[in-house]
This record gives sequence, C-alpha cells and structure tokens, in this order.
Amino acid sequence: MSVRLAGVSFRYPGSDTDALHEVSVTLRPGEVTLVTGRLGAGCSTLLLVIAGLAPHITGGSRSGEVTTLDRDPATRDGRKALAGRVGLLLPTPWTQLSGMSFTVEEEVAFGPANLGWRRARIAGAVDEAMQRFGVAHLARRDPRTLSGGELQRVMFAGVLAMEPEVLLLDEPALELDPAGAQGVYELLPVVAQERTVLLASTDLDRAAAAAHRALLLDRGSLVADGTVAEVLGNDGAVATGCSTTVAEIARAVGLTPGYPLSVADAVRRFTR
Amino acid sequence: MAAVSPRLLALIPLAVGINLAMGKFAAATSLPLFLDTAGTVLVAALAGPAAALLTGVVSQTTFTVLDGRLMWLAFLPVQLGVALYASWAAWRGLFASVPRALLSGAGLGVLAATLSWPISLLLFGGVTAGGVTIVTTLLTALGVPLTWAVYGASLSADVLDKVVTFALVHAVLISLPGRMAARFPAAARALGRT
Amino acid sequence: MIVGYVAGKSPLHQAHPFTALALAATVVVLAFALPAPQGPAALAVALAALALLARLPRVLLTALGFSLPFWFFLGVIHGLIGETPLRALTVGAQITAMLTAFLLVLATVHPARLVDALLQRGVPFSLAYLLSATLQAVPRLRRQAADIVEAQRCRGLRVRGSVWRRTRAVVPLAIPLVLGALGEVDERAMALDARGAAAPAHRTALEPPPDSTAQRVVRWLLAAAAVGVIVWRVLA
Repeated sequence: MSVRLAGVSFRYPGSDTDALHEVSVTLRPGEVTLVTGRLGAGCSTLLLVIAGLAPHITGGSRSGEVTTLDRDPATRDGRKALAGRVGLLLPTPWTQLSGMSFTVEEEVAFGPANLGWRRARIAGAVDEAMQRFGVAHLARRDPRTLSGGELQRVMFAGVLAMEPEVLLLDEPALELDPAGAQGVYELLPVVAQERTVLLASTDLDRAAAAAHRALLLDRGSLVADGTVAEVLGNDGAVATGCSTTVAEIARAVGLTPGYPLSVADAVRRFTR
Repeated sequence: MAAVSPRLLALIPLAVGINLAMGKFAAATSLPLFLDTAGTVLVAALAGPAAALLTGVVSQTTFTVLDGRLMWLAFLPVQLGVALYASWAAWRGLFASVPRALLSGAGLGVLAATLSWPISLLLFGGVTAGGVTIVTTLLTALGVPLTWAVYGASLSADVLDKVVTFALVHAVLISLPGRMAARFPAAARALGRT
Repeated sequence: MIVGYVAGKSPLHQAHPFTALALAATVVVLAFALPAPQGPAALAVALAALALLARLPRVLLTALGFSLPFWFFLGVIHGLIGETPLRALTVGAQITAMLTAFLLVLATVHPARLVDALLQRGVPFSLAYLLSATLQAVPRLRRQAADIVEAQRCRGLRVRGSVWRRTRAVVPLAIPLVLGALGEVDERAMALDARGAAAPAHRTALEPPPDSTAQRVVRWLLAAAAVGVIVWRVLA
C-alpha cells in the first residue's frame, strides 16, 4: 500500500465548491490505476493532492487523511522525506522545462541533480531513461527546439530518471501522434512493475488497455472503483463519454451493459 | 540567501521577462518609454518587498548580460529603489484607482531619477541611454550646467515612464481573473480592498 | 555585433569561469584606479590585444560599436561645457576597456559551466536557478511580446494620436502578456517542486569546469594587481 486517501476533500482558493469531495482510495505498487472523468471531475486535483502540491503550491484547503509512502505529503517534514520519491508529469511539456538546461541530456538530469546524486549515478539513470523513451538520439539537442511530442517524451524521461516509487501521470501523451501515444501507454505496465502508477487520462481507447484498475470521478466524488472492465464497461460511464469508442458503439447498437472495451473484448464476447 | 519557494522561482524569471519584453510595446507607441520596471512593480504588488528586490537584482543582471553593456549593472540601485517604493505603495493601497496610481507613479519617477543621477554623472560623465543623453546634450547646449542637465534629462524620462508603469500595473491588477487573484492575496491590499 | 557565448578553444575558453570573471573584475578596478588618461587608454589597448589573441575580433568590434556613442556624446557634452578633452578621453577609455573585458567573458564562459562552477562553490541552488532560468525566459517573453504587437496590428491596432492615446495603447498590448505569464506560475512551480527543486540536498553540478593550481595562481595575481594599484594610488 503506497498511497492511501481517507475521506479527502480539497477546495481551491477563491472557489466555493470542492474539487475533490470525500474521496477514499488505496493504491498498490505493481499496478497501473487509471483515473478518469469528465472535464473538471477532479482527476488532476487527485494527482496533485497525492503529490502534496495541492495545497502546498496551489493554496486552498484540504481535509481528510492523505498518506503517500507513509507520509503526509502536505506537511513540511513529509515534503522533505518525499522529495524525488513521487514523480509527477503534467500535460503541457513546455511549462515543465527547467530553464536550466542547454541540452536534452541536462534537462533529463535536472531532477536527479537536484536530489544531490553523484554524477556517475545521474549519468546512468539519465541514459537509461532516455533509452526507454527513445530520445537518446536527441541527447545533445537544445530542448527548446524540440517538437511537442519529442519534448513530452523528454519530460517523461526526466521524471522517470529520478526513479520515483510513485508515478503520477496527467495526460502523458497529449502532444504525441497516435503511434507515439501508443508507445508511451504500452510502457506503463512495464514501468509499473517496480512502482505505483496513477494515470489520469481521457484518451481511454489507449489508456484502458494499459491499466489494471480504474477509478471514475464525477464532480470531485469517486463514483466507481474496480477493474477497468467493470468501471468503464458500466452503463453510466459509457453514457457520460467516459469510456472507449468500442464501448460507445456497443451501447449504441443496444448491447447489454458490461460493454466490451476493445475490439478484442468484443470478439471474445461473441465467440463465447 | 534562504531557500526561495518554488512559486517565487517560477514567478521571478517571468517577471524579469515582463520587464525586458515591455520595450517591444514601448517601441510600438514611439514614446520615450522603457517600462523596464513593470515586472518588478508587479511582483511588489503581488508578492511583497523581498520578492521584488530579488526580481530587481536578477533583472538588472540579466539585462546587462543580454545587452552586453556592463555599465547597466551600475544602475542596480535604481531597480532596488523601485522595488522598495513599489512595495510600500502596494502596502498603502496606492494602486486602488487610476489617479492614485498616476500620482504615486510620478513619485517613483522622481525617486528613480534621483537615484540614477549620481550614477550616470559620476561614473559615465553624464552619458547613459540614447534618448536621455540627447536631452542632456540639448540642455547643456542651452547653457544648463552638466550636473543639472543630467538630472533634468533623467527626470523628464523617468517621471513619464514610471507614471505609465504604475497605471499599467493598476490595469493588470484590476483585470486579474478571480481565481488568479485568490492565488496572490497581496493584490487585494494593493488595490485597497482590505 | 555579437553578445553571448561563442564556441572556441582559446585559453580564455578553457579557463575556469572564475578566472575569466576575476579578469573582468580586475579590469573594472584598474580602469578607475590607474592614473588617467594614459592608464585607462593602455588598459583598453591591452584588452583589444587579448580579444585578438583569443581570436574573437568580432567581440572587439562589438565593444568598439558599443563605445562609439559614448565617445561621441562625451566629446560633444564636454566640448560644450568647455572642459579639456582629458576627462572625456578618460571616461571613454574606461568604458571601452570594461566593455571589452565584459564581452570577452560573455563570449568565452558558457552559462551552464558558470552555473556549475557556482554550485560547486556552494552558491544556493535558488540563485543559480534564477540567473539561468531568467536568461532562458527573457527571449521567450520578448518573442511573445513581438507576436502580440504583430497580432494586434493585424487586427487594426493603430498607435497614433495624442500622448495620452498612445500611452493607453500599451494596456491592451501588455495585459495578455502579463496575464499569460502569471497563469503559468503555478504550473511551473509544480513542475519545479516535483523535480526536486526544493529538495533538501545540495544540487550536484553536472559538468563542473576543471580548475588548476596555475589558474588559482592567476586569480591571486589578478587580485594582487587590483589591490596593489589601489594601495599605490592611495599612497602616491
């Protein structure tokens, strides 16, 4: 059990509604958990609360208990102890550029260097992360000259190079072309072998296949928690557009709920 | 220097960017404006004196490095004076209305001219930025002693510049969307709303 | 005209960033402490020679280009007030010497290596970060500002008329830039925090520039020269 939320609510400053409302959930290592919902459902906020950035950076107020790797990430001591152990990838790569790097290699090394690692360890982690995301050939490029997709992979490599135990991903493939996005999602189960992965995504056709478990949020409340098939195959999820294209088609043609999520699922169902 | 919060680490480079990008807008008006302290004044109103002073130091250093004219570094006290004055003005709620902003901006203009005057006179023989130096030259040609010609030239440039800067920061503060304003509680005080 | 780093292999390029900075600092002290006008003039000539030795003639040209308006206005103003040209010559030589030294440092010290050198000497991460991140943020915001001016012109913005009207035209130009920048603050802060910018450890310098005893000796000699000249001038 690496992340545990018990009755957690969060409200941004100047807002009069909860962005998260009474959410209780537990995340385990070795699993990719997908969290989805309509725009403003609170998926990003959930990630920020687990990382402690809400309220540490965003301001606002939190209630309930958050335990990330046995610490409360919003306290001073918790933040110190968790530095580098919780990785977060935000959706827009440009605003995540460190501003301290003249090459991609330096950009990927930004996080590890901040943790005070020895140079040899940094070099090893950076090389491995760049290989994994297929950006090793960009190592000497100026990160400010990369395309959105290239940059998003570089930023992912930069987060993974810190070897975090909990990995929080907010739309990690937003800037990638379909093939690139597929590649990133296929990596997630591999990455999750050694850590806890929480993935916020609305690209459900790809994300559903990469996840072991799914959470569905609606206006800040957790409305479903179960296997991907249970949560996304549910009538309510499909009706609100929080499911895959195949499930939507299945519902439109009048199949019974527990909709198949992919073509393979559908085939399996009809050959049973 | 104690640890600077990540929010300030993010804010200050952007504020300096604002300082140094405003020249593009000033040029579009073809008025003798620099607006190169707009970001510093804004940070003073949003985050207080410590952040504003840091913005001033980083701004003057960066400008000097990017421009390549080492003498700009000598004018660092001007940025620091602007940071302190603007923090005081924000604390007193002087950004509350246009007339107040214009008047306190004029006060800053006098302060800035007074600070840059001895620097340009003693270190650089009265020669500084292009436009200001032309005024200095004209005044000297009219028989004004060099000391007063330099001060007069600085005043003429700084008062208009700082008046516009304060009016601009007032306009920014009143157009902050609610969510953003909630993230910078000091802005309400600068607008006299507390 | 060239301001900023130029890749090369001259001794100045290979020097430790602090050696280059010590050279520039010594030049500033000497420019004001050496007897005028021959001292500053000799200093300017020496630096011009150094720029040529480092195979950076363009840096020298830039320094001269930057100095030219100063010489011109100094000549005019000090001619107008009927002073001897000695004062103008002194200030002009001081400015040229300092400018050449500064532009040489900018051309031969890569900013990333300077940051590494600072971090290695225990300078706080925040300070190193601010200097470095600002150098990258400024060109980006300047580009955005230019784009805004261009876009507003296409939409029929006309900056004409009275001083009041032209002044007011700044507001619709500046607001999108400023609000855009402020809107990025939290996201950037989160990305920095998540990547360990507030971690308790002291940041590792990624590629610290090599230093040597010889360079340390040079730095001490430069400092001694600066102090020596001041002492000599005070006593004389």
